[in-house]
Amino acid sequence: MEHIIIIGGGIGGALAHDLTLRGFRVTLVEKGELLSGASGRHHGLLHSGARYVLHDLKAARECAEENGILRRIAPDALELNDGLFVALNDADMALWDRFDEKCHEAGIIHTQLTASQTLALEPELVPTLKGAFRVCDAVMDAWRLPLQFFATALSNGARIRTFTEVISIQTSGRSIVGVEVVDHRFNRVETIGSDLVVNAAGPWAAKVAAMVGLKIPLRTVPGVMVSVPARLNRMVINRLHPAGEGDIIVPQRNLSIMGTTAWMAEDPDSVQIPRGHVTRLFELGKQLIPRIRQYAPHAVWHACRPLLDVGPEQDPMRISRTSDCLDHAERDDLEGFVTVLGGKATTMRAMAEQTADLICRNTGRDRHCRTRKAALKPYRAYYEYH
Amino acid sequence: MNSMEMFKFRIRRYKPGAIDPPRFETFEVAVGQDRSASILDCLEQIRLNQDPTLMYRHSCHHGSCGTCACQINGTPRLACTTKLSQLSADPLIIEPLEGFDCIADLVVNMDDFFKDIDCKWSYLQTDQSADAPPPPGGITTWSRLEDCIECGCCVSACPAVQVNSAFMGPAALTAVHRQYRKFRQQRERLLAIAGGHRGVKGCHRALVCSKVCPTRVYPARHIDELRRQLKTPSST
Ligand SMILES: Cc1cc2nc3c(=O)[nH]c(=O)nc-3n(C[C@H](O)[C@H](O)[C@H](O)COP(=O)(O)OP(=O)(O)OC[C@H]3O[C@@H](n4cnc5c(N)ncnc54)[C@H](O)[C@@H]3O)c2cc1C
Ligand code: SF4
Ligand code: SF4
Ligand code: FES
Repeated sequence: MEHIIIIGGGIGGALAHDLTLRGFRVTLVEKGELLSGASGRHHGLLHSGARYVLHDLKAARECAEENGILRRIAPDALELNDGLFVALNDADMALWDRFDEKCHEAGIIHTQLTASQTLALEPELVPTLKGAFRVCDAVMDAWRLPLQFFATALSNGARIRTFTEVISIQTSGRSIVGVEVVDHRFNRVETIGSDLVVNAAGPWAAKVAAMVGLKIPLRTVPGVMVSVPARLNRMVINRLHPAGEGDIIVPQRNLSIMGTTAWMAEDPDSVQIPRGHVTRLFELGKQLIPRIRQYAPHAVWHACRPLLDVGPEQDPMRISRTSDCLDHAERDDLEGFVTVLGGKATTMRAMAEQTADLICRNTGRDRHCRTRKAALKPYRAYYEYH
Repeated sequence: MNSMEMFKFRIRRYKPGAIDPPRFETFEVAVGQDRSASILDCLEQIRLNQDPTLMYRHSCHHGSCGTCACQINGTPRLACTTKLSQLSADPLIIEPLEGFDCIADLVVNMDDFFKDIDCKWSYLQTDQSADAPPPPGGITTWSRLEDCIECGCCVSACPAVQVNSAFMGPAALTAVHRQYRKFRQQRERLLAIAGGHRGVKGCHRALVCSKVCPTRVYPARHIDELRRQLKTPSST
C-alpha cells in the first residue's frame, strides 16, 4: 500500500487513524509536541452544532453528527453535561423561534426551558435571564480526546514523529516524492520518501503550501481565552444570539473557561494577545455569570483558527466553520499532494474521513471508512505503543 | 500602560550528540511590567523569536493537559500556569523535570510514569460539589474529568521514588485509589496492587507530592486512604 506522510499533529491524528484502518502506511510528522497547535488549546467545547444554526447550517449539521459519533467512540474524555443557550434580553428572545426552527432543521435535539427552570439547573447564571434552550453540547479534554486517535493509529502501525518539522517538500517534475525534515531532538536534517503528502498544518498550512509555491484559501483567525480558578457552571453556557465574542463559558475540571475573541492575522507565529481582550471577556462573561468577575485569571492564552476562506464574508466570527480538502493534482497540477483545511476540533473525524475518501479515489483504492464505529484506544495507550 | 521589563532565563539545553554534555544557555525576554506572562509564554517567545530549536512540551496552555511540567527554580511546576509575578529569582532557572529521562532540552520521557496506571482505568468522576442542583432528565450524574492531569510533578518531587525505584509513586497510587472508589468489583485486585511491594509501603509520608500538585489532587491523602482500606476494607 501507498506510504502517506501527514504534516501536522492536530486533526492529523484522526487522519492517521482513518488511513491506517484503510490499510495505508502512514508517517505523521509534527514540529512540536502533538496537539501543540490549535487542537490542544481551544475551549474544549464538543459542539452540539447549535452555535452555528443561525448562520452556518452546514457546519451545524456536521457538528451535530460528529458530536454523536465522538460520544460513542471516545466517551472517557468527555464531560457529558449538555449545554444551554441562554437568552438574556428581549433582543435575544426575538431569535427564539428562529433558533428553535433551525435546530430542528439541523437535527439538533433541543428543549425549551423557562427562566426558572434554567436558574434551577445553573444557579450562578444572571437572575434576570429570560429563558434557555438545552442542547447536547459537551466538554472534551482537548489533549486526551485527540490523543486517543493517535494511540489507535499507533496500535495499527502508524509512525508518529514529534519534534520533527517539515522544512521543504521534495518534488520530481509535477509530483511530490517526499519531505525534508529537521528532527529537533538531534538538530538533524533527513528526508522521508512517500507516495503522497497531506498538509494538515492548520494555521501553518499556507506556509507548508508555499514550500511548493502554492497559495491556499486560508484565513488565520486567532482568539483569546481566559480561565478562572473556579467551576461556576456544570453545563456549557452559550449566549442565545448570533455567534459573537465572549459568549461561551465552558466548565472543565475546576475551571471555567471564557471565550473567545476573533481577529484576522497574517502569521500564526507572531500573534500577540491584543490589549483589552481580557477585560472584554470578563465584561461579557459577567453578563452571563456575574460572579465570574470576582476571580483573577488563572490562565490567559490564544489559539489560531485555520479557517477556509470561502466567499466574501469578512466578519471573523461568521466565516464558515466548514472544512474542505484540496486536491492539488486537480487544482494545481501537482500530483501526490492534498491539503485539509477549516472545520472544528469537533469535526476532526469527519475531516479525516473526507480526506481519506479523496486519497482512496486518487489512488484507486476501494476502501471504506470505518472510523464512525471503531471505538478508540484509551489515550494512555499512546505511551504503550509509541 | 503596561511597559516592558527584561527577564533573564537560564535554560538547561541538551540534544544527544549535538548539545552534549548538557549546558545552560541564557535568554532575555521582554515582558509586560504586570508580570502576568507565564513561563510558557516566555518559552514561546524564545522559540519563536530567538531560537527555533528550543524544545519543550506544551498543549493546552491552561493547566489541563499536564504536558508542560518542568523544574522552575528547582521546583516542579507547570510552565503554563506559573506566572512571572509568582517568582522572584533572577535569572530564572528552567530545567527538565527531575527524575525522568531527558529526551532533549526540557522534554522528558513520560512512558514510565504511565507504566503503573492501567490505560483502561476511568478518567471521569462524578461531580461531588455540595451545592450542585440535581441534573435534568437524561443525565444520571453530573460528570467531570479527573483533576489529576498526569503532569508528573508529584513523582518528580517525591523523595521516596528517588531512593526506591520499585516504588510506583504518588500519581499511580492516586490512580489506583480513584479506580478503587469507582469500581467495587475491582477492589480486591486494586488493594493487592496498593499493598504489594511497589505500593503504599514505599511512601515515607513526606507530603511534598501534595504540596507540588498544581491541581490540588493531594496524592498523599489518596495514599493514606489506601492504607486505611488495606487495614479495614470498607463496605461502602
Ligand atoms: C480560540 C479558539 C477556540 C476554539 N474553540 C473550539 C472549541 O471549543 N471546540 C472545537 O471543536 N473547536 C474549537 N476551535 C477550533 C479548533 O481548535 C480548530 O479548528 C482545530 O484545532 C484545527 O486543527 P488543525 O489540525 O487544522 O490545526 P492545528 O491543531 O493547529 O494542527 C496543525 C499542526 O501542524 C503542525 N505543523 C505546522 N507546520 C508544520 C511543519 N512545517 N512541520 C511539522 N508540523 C507542522 C503544528 O505544530 C500543529 O500542531 C477553536 C479555535 C480557536 C482559535
Ligand atoms: S507522601 Fe509519599 S508519595 Fe508523597 S512525596 Fe511523600 S513519600 Fe512520596
Ligand atoms: S497528582 Fe497532581 S502532581 Fe501528580 S501527576 Fe496528578 S496532577 Fe500532577
Ligand atoms: S500546557 Fe497543558 S498543562 Fe501546561
